[in-house]
This record gives sequence, structure tokens and C-alpha cells, in this order.
Amino acid sequence: MISERKFICVSCPLGCGLTVTLEDGEVKSVEGNSCPRGASYAKSEVKDPRRVFASTVRVKNGKLPVCPIRSKTPAPRGKLFEIAQAVAKLEIPAPIKIGQVLIHNACGTDVDIVASRDLESA
Amino acid sequence: MLNNNIDVLIIGAGPAGVAAGIGARKQGAEHVVVLERDWDLGGILQQCIHPGFGLRTFREELTGPEYMHRFIQQAHEAGVEFRTNTMVFQIDRNSNQVWTMNRERGIECLNPKAIVLTMGCRERPLGAIRIPGTRPAGIYTAGTAQRFVNMEGYMPGKRAVILGSGDIGLIMARRMIWEGAEVEGVYEVMSWPGGLRRNIAQCLDDYGIPFHLETTVTKIHGKDRLEGVTVAKVDANKAPIKSTERFVACDTLLLAIGLIPENELSRMAGVEIHQVTGGPVVNDLLQTSNPAIFAAGNVVIVYDLVDNVSDEGLIAGANAARYAAGEISGSIRRIPVKGGENVRLFSPQFVTGESDTTIFMRVTRPIEQACRVFTTPEFYTQRLRYARPGEMNEVKIKAAQVKAMPDLQEIIVDIQPV
Repeated sequence: MISERKFICVSCPLGCGLTVTLEDGEVKSVEGNSCPRGASYAKSEVKDPRRVFASTVRVKNGKLPVCPIRSKTPAPRGKLFEIAQAVAKLEIPAPIKIGQVLIHNACGTDVDIVASRDLESA
Repeated sequence: MLNNNIDVLIIGAGPAGVAAGIGARKQGAEHVVVLERDWDLGGILQQCIHPGFGLRTFREELTGPEYMHRFIQQAHEAGVEFRTNTMVFQIDRNSNQVWTMNRERGIECLNPKAIVLTMGCRERPLGAIRIPGTRPAGIYTAGTAQRFVNMEGYMPGKRAVILGSGDIGLIMARRMIWEGAEVEGVYEVMSWPGGLRRNIAQCLDDYGIPFHLETTVTKIHGKDRLEGVTVAKVDANKAPIKSTERFVACDTLLLAIGLIPENELSRMAGVEIHQVTGGPVVNDLLQTSNPAIFAAGNVVIVYDLVDNVSDEGLIAGANAARYAAGEISGSIRRIPVKGGENVRLFSPQFVTGESDTTIFMRVTRPIEQACRVFTTPEFYTQRLRYARPGEMNEVKIKAAQVKAMPDLQEIIVDIQPV
């Protein structure tokens, strides 16, 4: 069975409109992309959609009460809320270093949650 | 205290200012100082914790704090001096003396050889759009809410409506959802989105948040706390259509209705401000109408991408350093740039032919077909699949092209369907 999916590429600010043709669930073609990143995004989006998760964690004794965090790599889209809840439970003591791993293998996704800035103690 | 040994003084340590510091030092300026009113460096990017920054500069998508971390490190390595918690409260237009306030240092008068303005921009507030109704708590600009959530750890509310579709509003829609709030919808008075298409996709579509074009908020309800808003479709003249009015319950209204370059200091310094961009009129060296004062980034024209802001900062910093060293003559050419019929705004407004340059512009309305961005005379032409107000376009002009035409009177930039 041949089906078609259309969506916007989020790999860069260009936002190309992608059309993916699938045959029996397999990607047959990608159209509308202007670079190879678009093609690989299209393939991942139909098979295993992923997004970088970015939020904050509470900080103990920091110069700010919260510190920004991100998933080091894109996490499965369907797991984002589960990851958000895991992150919401954390409280990390300052000082925090950029890149510091706060959760290993978040919610079994194999994706690490890391701090995305340095934060000194208060 | 009069401090006389500063070569280049930069006002604001956001992306433009930090890059300007690096640019000035790399050009050879000895003493380069960046002033910042906040306790921290990095400006607004410190609250932009989502990824999407620096793809062009670093070949990877960084969050705002990560992007600034790299530039701040470079600036420290380049020997840029930063003074935080320092507010500039006056620039004297005749002497170019800069008066600053800092809790430890007190009031100081700095006498730099050149200045770079990198104050960035502010959000258009509620007062700019005159919505009838009450003025309860719960109404914020999207950036204020972003600061509350991402830096101060407060949630502004539980059920939000977003007015305007600028990128910060779209980003905050997703952010509110991730923090457990509801977002009822995003309302945009224009017929096209204000922000990037990918932000519609990844911030609204991903979470099923409705996006309403040609619709606006016509009334605010609630006494102490916001209780809801009335929304309505607008007609071709942007007048609300009464019969389409609908009440939407919400406790939070976020405004993403545009950005304004922040130029109080520029005006004080006697720098000419452009009527349309709202920023200083600059030439391709990013020099303002005051030859000792340069400007870069969102204080000049609001960019889509921080990569462009950093690039412009580097250029302004380097040219300020050249000016401080007496390397920019007072008699350079000043060829005006003009916008064609489909161009709403552009920068720089003058070309000197002293350096290669990029002119950034926005179209007045979307051109949803193949078109061409070009200059007259034809220094540059590039085909585009479309042109949209939310996505800047650019033309590149080489110094040699301008030098080859000693009688050149003007350069027109335009975008036309093909």
C-alpha cells in the first residue's frame, strides 16, 4: 500500500515542506527538502519521531532557583512527557557545570539529560 | 572619575555585544570593555533554553545558554573586559562620554575612542495594541513569561491564550505545555504567521495547539485575575467581525506581538533613528550617523537568527576598533540603499564600498511563489521558492562591485515574483 505524509522539516530555520511517500511502511521517496538533513529528518519522522527536550530543574543554593537542561540528543517524541516528569522531580545542588549529566538514560530512552549552562552557588 | 584609556566601549553583553568585543580585540583594539546591566552575561539568550541556535555558526543546534557559553568563552580568551551590574544612564552627544552606574564602582564617566551600541530589543507591550476591557493580573509579554519560567522558576498560570505568533510566543506555547499548563490557542491578526514555520510545526502542531489566523483578542475580562478573553475574526481592514466573537476562558494571556529595537541611549547620543526599522541608520561598516558610534544586532533591525546578530557584532566591533585606531576616514562614500515595492524594511541603509556587505530585508507581505531577491544595479540576484515577512532575506554586495562604479547614486533592493 502506498501512502503519503506531509510535514514541515524542523532541522533548520528554512522549514521546508516535506512530502514522504511510503510503500508498506517503508520510505520510498522524500521530496521538498533542500539538504540531506531534511531527508534524514523525514525518514526519522515517519519511523521514530524525535525531539530535543529542553526544560529546567530546581537548584539548591544556586545563583538562580532553576537551571536549564536539555536532552543531549533527540528523545522519542512519545516519551517527552515522561521525561518532563522525571526532570520535574530533580533538585540539583549548585554549582552546576554546562554538560553535567543529571539523568543517565532518561526513562529508558538511552538519552541523557544534561545541564545547558554553568550555574554558580548563591 | 574620568577613564580615558578605553579604545572600544560596547553597551550590552548579549550576542551582539559579546561578538563585538571579540571583533574589536581581533582587530587589534587594546582595551575593549563590554558593559552589562544584568549580573550575568549573555542577554536574552540565557532565557531561551530551547534548541535552535547556532546551526550556521557551529554546525549544530544549541540552546541559547549553550550558544552564549561558547561566545563568552571566546571573548574571555580574546581578552575582552566585562563589567556587569553596570547601567549606562547617559551618552553625551558632543563628547561621546558615557556615564555609568555600578554599586561597587559608583558613577563613572568613560571616554572611549569608539562605542558599539548592542542593547538589543524589547517586546511590544499590551499598551501598544489598545485592547478594550479590564487590566487584571495574568497578562505578560511572552518573553517576560519565558524569564519567569526558565530563570526564576515561576509558572505564570494554568490555561493560556497566546496573542500574536512571533517565535517567542510559539516557543512559550510548547514550554507551557511541557510544564503542565494548557494552551487554548494562538491568535494572529495577520493572514500569515509572525514566526518561523518550523516553530508552528514543532511548538503548535506537535501538541495539537490550534492556530487561528486573521483572529484577534477584542476584550479582556477579569477584575483581579484574568478570567478570559473575547476573540474574533477580523475583516480585510483588520476590524473585528462582531458576529464571530467568542469567549475563551483563560488565566494567562501571553503577547507575542513584535519586537522594538531599544534605542533610548542611541537617541540620547544623537544617533539618527530609522523610521521603519526603529534602529540606528547605519552604513555597511555598521557605523551610525555619529562616526564614533557603531551599532549591531537587534538594536539595529530585529533579526530572525542569532547567527546573523553575532556576525554583525563581529563586524561592528572590528570597525569600531579600526575607527579607534584612526583607520576609517571621514570622507568615505555614502551610497543610499532603497527598498523596492515589496520590501518593508532593510539594513544597512548606506553602502560605502569599503567592505563586502550583506543587506538584510523583509518583504511587506508573503510572496507564495518562485521569486527573486536582487539589487539594481545587479550586484546580486538569487532565486527563492517564496518570500515571507517572518523570514528575512538577504543580498550580498562585494566592495569591488561598488568600487568599480564611482558614479553610483543608489542601490535598490527588491524581491519580485518570476
